[in-house]
Amino acid sequence: MTSNSSAIALEAKAVSHRFGSQDVLDSINLKLRQGELTALIGPNGAGKSTLLHVLQGLLKPSQGDVFVGDTPVTSCRHRIALMPQRGRIDWSFPITALDMVRLRKPKTAGGCFEVSAEEALERVGLRERAKERLGRLSGGQQQRVLLAGAIAQNAATMLLDEPCSALDPPSRERVIALLQSLAQEGRSICLTSHDWGPALMGYDRVIVLDRQILFDGSPQDVGEQLKDLMSAAKRGPN
Amino acid sequence: MEALPWWGLPLIFALLEGALCSCVGTVLLTQRRILQANLIANGVLPGLAIAVALQLDPAIGGWVSGLAAALVSERLIRSHQHQQEAVQNTVLAGALAIGVLLLALLQQRVELEALLFGDLLIAGGRDLLQTLIAAAAALALIGTQYQRLVFSGVDPEGAEAAGVPIHQLRTLLAVVTTLVIVSAISAVGIILVIALLCAPAVVGLNQASSLSGAMVRASAIGSSCSLGGFGLALLLDLPPGPVIGLLCLLLLWLPKPDQSMN
Repeated sequence: MTSNSSAIALEAKAVSHRFGSQDVLDSINLKLRQGELTALIGPNGAGKSTLLHVLQGLLKPSQGDVFVGDTPVTSCRHRIALMPQRGRIDWSFPITALDMVRLRKPKTAGGCFEVSAEEALERVGLRERAKERLGRLSGGQQQRVLLAGAIAQNAATMLLDEPCSALDPPSRERVIALLQSLAQEGRSICLTSHDWGPALMGYDRVIVLDRQILFDGSPQDVGEQLKDLMSAAKRGPN
Repeated sequence: MEALPWWGLPLIFALLEGALCSCVGTVLLTQRRILQANLIANGVLPGLAIAVALQLDPAIGGWVSGLAAALVSERLIRSHQHQQEAVQNTVLAGALAIGVLLLALLQQRVELEALLFGDLLIAGGRDLLQTLIAAAAALALIGTQYQRLVFSGVDPEGAEAAGVPIHQLRTLLAVVTTLVIVSAISAVGIILVIALLCAPAVVGLNQASSLSGAMVRASAIGSSCSLGGFGLALLLDLPPGPVIGLLCLLLLWLPKPDQSMN
């Protein structure tokens, strides 16, 4: 677990973003800390994935900026791993699980957390399926291959877009335990999730987003506030 | 060349084109760029018409206008991001229309049937040279950009996040695709070349566990199709291009092994 005194891994300052005439993110100020496992939750269309893309530097925000220390994120994107949603991957592509993880491995050593592609697969419990074609793995196994790729990137900050979306409850618990151990090693991890209620207790910090940050705190603190948001979500996406 | 029998050069040409089109087709399929290849194939017509009118090498005219059509479509896609296929199809039809109008306006006589469907039997040393140049360009692209092609094929968002220059890669691929299509005009024509780009690649990708493995398998299948089509055409006294196209179609009926547990 973490404290507010932990070093800042990534900071978004007054970030806003628009797609055409639609505001997707509005004045986001956010600090991700080392050793912290953060869940980013909110209704569909809340801007969760967009925020991850902005934090990684993949998407330039309409206003504001993102920094790693004093450096703009666009100058050090290699220090931030981004695990995409499973819908973004071509699962029919001819590639093995091991080669998929190797794609994300930096060409040169020297990252903060040196992990080989084989070790990354070991950590997600797929070492024995390393030579299997990606398309032959189950949905949950494919999801863990993506996670192994993010681990192998040796980045200090990991941004994970719905890493538990295709997992059954036991697999989800194993992945959350793995993410907790990765955070305890000093990584800053921020993931988007559709978790609600008790499932949020596995995280150090929960941020509720709906174009702007509605709540930000410990799972316990945010829990009460979530009830109101759930009522809003039942009325339909914004 | 002199020592070869009359069918020797067309046979070598058919084998090379079968392998080259199928290999590049595998890359195009995994990069989701097949529609762009079709666009390029139709986009060569205006350049051919102008080159014939100016008494230049038609291959050069075709290469320039095919590539121009691809670049125009890429530019338009950026401003119509959610209508990519509609933009590509419109540019395809537009390029074809310009080609037909140019032929009429410049009052040029072009063997349209040979252009559309190819004529292997009249292939010469010049066609073989064009094929070798296209093959060298394809090998150079695949050899130097293999990892990037794999990354952008399986995970385009991740590749972009890792700094892979996606737009440059697509432009390079368009350059090579245009060379390959222009080189194949004599063999199968601008219409039937799509079959040779697609069908062997579809079969080659079945159960392959790497892009390179899929390319090798597709090339072998493509060469076999070209060879078989050429042989059958001679045997039955039919035009080789359409017979090769028909064999490509039949490939899709081959039993497909179960690929996924999902």
